[in-house]
Amino acid sequence: MEVYAIRTLRSQPLRLAMTVGGVALCVILMLFLISVYKGVADGSVEYVRHNHTDLWVLQCNATNILRGSSFVTASQEKSIRELPDVKSVSPVLLVLASVQKDGKEKTVFLTGYDITKGSGGPPQLALGRHVQRDDEIVLDRSFAAKFGFDIGDVLHIQEHRMKVVGISRGTNAFVIQYAFATLRFTRKLVGFPGIATCLMVETNNRESLGKIAQQIKEKVRGVEAYTHEAFLKNNIREMESGFLPLLYTVAAIGGVVLTVILSLLLSVNILERRKDFSVLKTLGATGLFLKKMIIEQALLISSGASLTALFLFFPLVHVIGILSPEVSVKATIVHIIGVIFVVQVMSFFSALISIQKLRQIYILEVFR
Amino acid sequence: MNVLNQKNPVRLSDVTKYFESGGNRTYALKNISLEVGRGELILFLGPSGSGKTTLLTMMAGLIKPSKGSVFLFNRKVDTYSPKELQKLRACSLGFIFQTFLLIDSLTVLENLRVVLRFSGYPRKETNQKAIRLLQQFHIEELAGKFPVCLSQGEKQRVAVARAVANDASLILADEPTGSLESKQGFEVISLLKKLSETEDKSVVIASHDLRIVEFADRVFRLEDGSIRGNRPASFRPLKPYSASEHQIFAGNG
Repeated sequence: MEVYAIRTLRSQPLRLAMTVGGVALCVILMLFLISVYKGVADGSVEYVRHNHTDLWVLQCNATNILRGSSFVTASQEKSIRELPDVKSVSPVLLVLASVQKDGKEKTVFLTGYDITKGSGGPPQLALGRHVQRDDEIVLDRSFAAKFGFDIGDVLHIQEHRMKVVGISRGTNAFVIQYAFATLRFTRKLVGFPGIATCLMVETNNRESLGKIAQQIKEKVRGVEAYTHEAFLKNNIREMESGFLPLLYTVAAIGGVVLTVILSLLLSVNILERRKDFSVLKTLGATGLFLKKMIIEQALLISSGASLTALFLFFPLVHVIGILSPEVSVKATIVHIIGVIFVVQVMSFFSALISIQKLRQIYILEVFR
Repeated sequence: MNVLNQKNPVRLSDVTKYFESGGNRTYALKNISLEVGRGELILFLGPSGSGKTTLLTMMAGLIKPSKGSVFLFNRKVDTYSPKELQKLRACSLGFIFQTFLLIDSLTVLENLRVVLRFSGYPRKETNQKAIRLLQQFHIEELAGKFPVCLSQGEKQRVAVARAVANDASLILADEPTGSLESKQGFEVISLLKKLSETEDKSVVIASHDLRIVEFADRVFRLEDGSIRGNRPASFRPLKPYSASEHQIFAGNG
C-alpha cells in the first residue's frame, strides 16, 4: 500500500468522512435490500415450505397461492378423495380479510385449515397455541407487533368476534401477513360452504407422485396437481417475478450512486493534487504506480465504508424491526460477503473512471 | 552506477524550438549548440521569457526540438521511447524547482523514499538510503517533518537531496534560488557546486540570479531564445555573496 495513497486521503478528513459515509450508506442500502429480499422470500413461501404434503391440488391454470385465484369445489374434493392412491385430503381456504380493532381496519391473508388434521396451519408458533374453535385466530408476529395485538386480545372480522390465541412466525409476506382460523369459519366468512383454494393431498404411494398427479388431472376436471417441490418452486418463482425487478433496480441505483460518489472524490483528489501528480511523473513515476495508487485509494475508501456499513447495519435493522415489524429482514453471511465483493468491484470501476483524469496532467506543468 | 552516468549527459546541436498558434510562429530557442560535460556547473542567465526553462525541459527530454538534435547520454532524444524517457528521469536525472514542489502529504523522509522507489532501489532499503541522504545534507532532524513545517531554505535543501537521491548524473535546476533569501540561496548553490565538484555530477541551472555566476564553470546569457554571450566580464555578480555567507557554508562542512 502506497503511503501517498493513504496520506492524500487523510489530508482532507471531512471530505474523506463524507465520502466514506456516502459509500457506507450505499452499502447499507444494498445490504438492506438483499436482506429484505431474503426475509420476504423466506416469509412468502415459508407457509408452503413448512406445510409439507405429497401433492397440492389447485384450480386448473393456478400455479401458486401468492398471486392469482383458485377455487376447488366440494365435488372436486370428493372425487379426489375417492381415488385409489389418495390417503387423505385437507382443504385450505385463503382469503383476504379485514381485521377490525379500535375502529381501524387491517388486511390479513386469512388461512382457513382443517384443525383436526392440522395441515395448512401456521409453520411455527412464537407464542400461544393453535386455533381450536371457530372464534379463535392466530396472527402473524410482525402484524401483531405493528398493530399492538397480543394473546387474549379480541378483534372483529366483519361482524365476527375473534380471540387471538396464538402468534405465528414465518408468515410475513411483506405486503401482507398470514392469519389462521378454522376452515369452517373461513368458509362461513366467504359464504360458500365446501369451497377451498387448494387441497393438500396425502397419498398411499409416494414413489409414484407424478403418476397420481396425472391421474388426478385426468379424472377430476378443472384441477391441477403439483408435487410439493414443484408447487414450492412455483411460489418462489412468482414471488421473485414480482419483487426481484424492483429490488434489482433500487440496488443498481445504489451501486451507481456509490460509483459516482467515489469517482467524484477520486477525480477531485487527482485534480486538486495535479501538481503532486505532475511532480511524481517528472521524477519518474510509472503510469502503473500512479494508477495503482488511485485504485488503492478507491479500495481503502470502499473497505472503510463496508466496515462502517456493517457496524451500522445491525443496529439499523433492529430499529427498523421496532418501527416497522412487517419489514422482514434476514441477513446471511453469504449475502454480506456478496455485497462487499460487489462494492469492491464497483470501487475498482470508480478508480478506473478517475484514472482517466491522469491523462489531463502533464509533466511540463511543474515548470510553469 | 548507471552506465549512462559515465557519459557526457547532454549535447544540443543547432537546436531551435518554436510554437505555432493561429499561423504565427513563436521562437523559444534559436540555433543553440552546446555540450554539458561531466562534473560541470552550467548557468543559463536571462530574463523571464528568454527560453531558459524551455532549454531545461528540452535537456530533460520532456519536449522535442523543432529543428536540430538533442542528445541525452550520447543518444538522440527522439530515439528514446516514452518508457525509456521515464526510466531516464527516474534513474539519471534530478530536478530542482523554484517552488521546491515537495509532496506536501509526505514527510521529508518519504519524499526521498518515493524517488528511490522510482529509481528501482529495493523497497526495504529505501529507508536507510533516505536517512543517509538526509545526513549527507545535514537535515536528518527534518526526516519526520512535513514540508509545510519547513523553512524555505530547508525545503530547498530537501529538494536538492531529492534531486540526487536516485544518484542522478545530471541535475536540472529551474530558478533554485528564486524563492530563497540571500543566505539560503547561497547555501543551496554551494551544495550544488559541491555536488558537481566532489561527486562529478553535471548541474544545469536556469536563473536570473547573478550571484550564482561566481559558482558556475560556464555561464550562458540567453535573450529571446538565443545565446548572446558566454561569461563576459559584465556577468560579474552585482552583489556577490558576502564573506559571512561563505563562512556559514564552510561551517556547515
